[in-house]
Amino acid sequence: MAGAVGGLISLPAWASGWTSETVRPLNPFLSRSQDELLADLAETIIPATDTPGAKALNVHQFIQKVVADCYDKPSAETFRKGLAAVDELAQKSFGKPFSQGDTTQRIGVLNQLAQSTDADQKNFYSMVKGLTIRGYMSSEYVMTNLTHYEMIPGRYHGCVPVPAKPISQTK
Amino acid sequence: MAYLNIDAQAQNTYDAIVIGSGISGGWAAKELTGKGLRTLVLERGRDVRHVTDYPTTMMQPWEFEHRGQLNREVREQNPIISKCYAFYEGTEQFFVKDAEHPYVQEKPFDWIRGYQVGGKSLLWARQTQRWSDFDFTGPARDGFAVDWPIRYADLAPWYSYVERFAGITGNKDGLDTLPDGEFLPPHEWNCVESHFQKQVAARYKDRHVIMGRAAHITQPQPIHLQQGRAQCQHRTICERGCPFGGYFSSNSSTLPWAAKTGKMTLRPHSVVHSIIYDEKLGRATGVRVIDAQTKQMQEFYARIIFLNAAALNSNLVLLNSTSTRFPNGLGNDSGVLGKYVAFHNYRAGVSAQYDGNLDTTTEGRRPNSPYIPRFRNVYKQETDFLRGYAAGFSAGRISRSNQDGLGADLKESLLNPTLGGWYVGSHMMGETIPKESNFVALDSSQKDPFGIPQLKISIAYDDNDEKMVKDYQEQMTEMFTAAGFTNIRVRDDKRNPGLDIHEMGGARMGKDPKTSVLNKWNQLHAVKNVFVTDGASMTSTSTQNPSLTYMAMTARAADYAVKGLKKGLV
Repeated sequence: MAGAVGGLISLPAWASGWTSETVRPLNPFLSRSQDELLADLAETIIPATDTPGAKALNVHQFIQKVVADCYDKPSAETFRKGLAAVDELAQKSFGKPFSQGDTTQRIGVLNQLAQSTDADQKNFYSMVKGLTIRGYMSSEYVMTNLTHYEMIPGRYHGCVPVPAKPISQTK
Repeated sequence: MAYLNIDAQAQNTYDAIVIGSGISGGWAAKELTGKGLRTLVLERGRDVRHVTDYPTTMMQPWEFEHRGQLNREVREQNPIISKCYAFYEGTEQFFVKDAEHPYVQEKPFDWIRGYQVGGKSLLWARQTQRWSDFDFTGPARDGFAVDWPIRYADLAPWYSYVERFAGITGNKDGLDTLPDGEFLPPHEWNCVESHFQKQVAARYKDRHVIMGRAAHITQPQPIHLQQGRAQCQHRTICERGCPFGGYFSSNSSTLPWAAKTGKMTLRPHSVVHSIIYDEKLGRATGVRVIDAQTKQMQEFYARIIFLNAAALNSNLVLLNSTSTRFPNGLGNDSGVLGKYVAFHNYRAGVSAQYDGNLDTTTEGRRPNSPYIPRFRNVYKQETDFLRGYAAGFSAGRISRSNQDGLGADLKESLLNPTLGGWYVGSHMMGETIPKESNFVALDSSQKDPFGIPQLKISIAYDDNDEKMVKDYQEQMTEMFTAAGFTNIRVRDDKRNPGLDIHEMGGARMGKDPKTSVLNKWNQLHAVKNVFVTDGASMTSTSTQNPSLTYMAMTARAADYAVKGLKKGLV
């Protein structure tokens, strides 16, 4: 019996072949400065506290990759336009590029985007916020340390009491 | 030179040839090699070996470049396959891409295929209910197709035989609409599913909610350990290939078992062009194969041939196997080959909420869900449509977080979700009626990349299906209401036929060679050494999932074929 199951333990080469470098986009969709701006936007949406924020978890790279690879062309265009509008709004609001603003100033710009009468800006806001949340919640750090994702639960229990605390506060 | 040719012919000669390596082809390979036949298994796609050729099986969610989302180009280039629920960043490698294998949609039909060793057995949803006598006697009673030449009793021992080997989880429910099988322990219910089960039982005599029967090893038996398979680990990412062999696939089970006999030759990249018929001998002598890599045509020979290319492709192979004796396709004396194709109707769904049981939730994951066997028109015709539908059912709770804010507040709320109420959902699995007007044929002008005529598919819903959708929505709404579910929403996604991945028929079984292609042993009426035991052979479609029936029929036909070879009947 042990012999029969033992064969499953040797892992093929691809199992350990993945690194964060291999998922970098081949043709970067954004320039380095745009990428940094996106990182600051994501960090404003989900900042570092006693745990890392979106920037440290490279959520901006995930966003860039999904928009470049998965979104249709009009949505990608909305995204580019929105990104360009961020620094303009920042200049108007507090006279500096977005990245040089403090938290309150940055949040002010995001709120302006959210309430903008320009459909592109509004859509850009929803897109960046949605992707930031998705990228953050599905990041290795969050899934491993905070939400405790189990690859192999090995069980299903149909009727257990609702846990007293959310999963991120257990363990 | 003649000597060399004979030598080459001998080298390419086997006792049996199996065309296709999916669920039914894998069983044919196991049974034929197990009975001592040197068997050639032809697979048009590449080899996929258990564990080592499952490239995404151990990947964590964050390791996918797009966290599972499909690349735009892949989506745009594959409008058909992209509709399949199981096609995502982790499974692209196991589906046929639209452009690689074209077909003609005379009417919209989403043909979902997996061309590789193991075929769609890597990807299936693993539901394995037996068919009942209501299914096998239905056509004779209702007059919607020809009478099946077999009954449940013919298959029952073969169901048991394949269930024990494959490993089927389920509960013995004692229902005449859904015969019990050889089950491993059933999966667990959750509180709201149990609640629904009790409410339905209290209100209806003839409606039942049972735990799904599925090809998962919930408790390995010695026969499963001998296959190198282990207990299901509840990962619920089955469609990426299971390294534990926790669910049944040809790759983890039947093919390695066949290989162990030393009698199997597996030949990937072998696109079958046609079956060779020898007019003098009055039998099939072999198979013409186009090597997918070299594009060279080659012939292989055998005493018996099992055709298991999956329903529509088995039709294609037969239709393309022409000779003076069979100008319209091998064994097609009746003219019905390619006709009376039917499928399942998965268009409708019903969802709702439940505000009870808020102090409980679920833990872990379950690769299965409860099931509502067909209850319409079972004992008598009671509606204005023929036949009926089964339904899937499941309940669960969703975590929600307030996503309104920004900054530290948003982060806090994302990491502290609250449990919403229970949601419940159901989807229909309707039987469609085999009709002459639902057919496949060879297109006379368009060829595939191998020079083989493309399959022309002309299949559509009919009035019976529309009525059935409506009835399912009404009856499920009534049952949900009775169970105290609220906010009930019905849908009809009007998906194209085909997306249910349960196409059947075209080479149907029957008693009369004038109206059917195969006899009660899945043997071509007119060519006794050719057997078709995949979905092409189905006379009607039942409401149950078909895979288990393909397995049982294949094992039964292989047994008959080998005995028949000895007696000279084949």
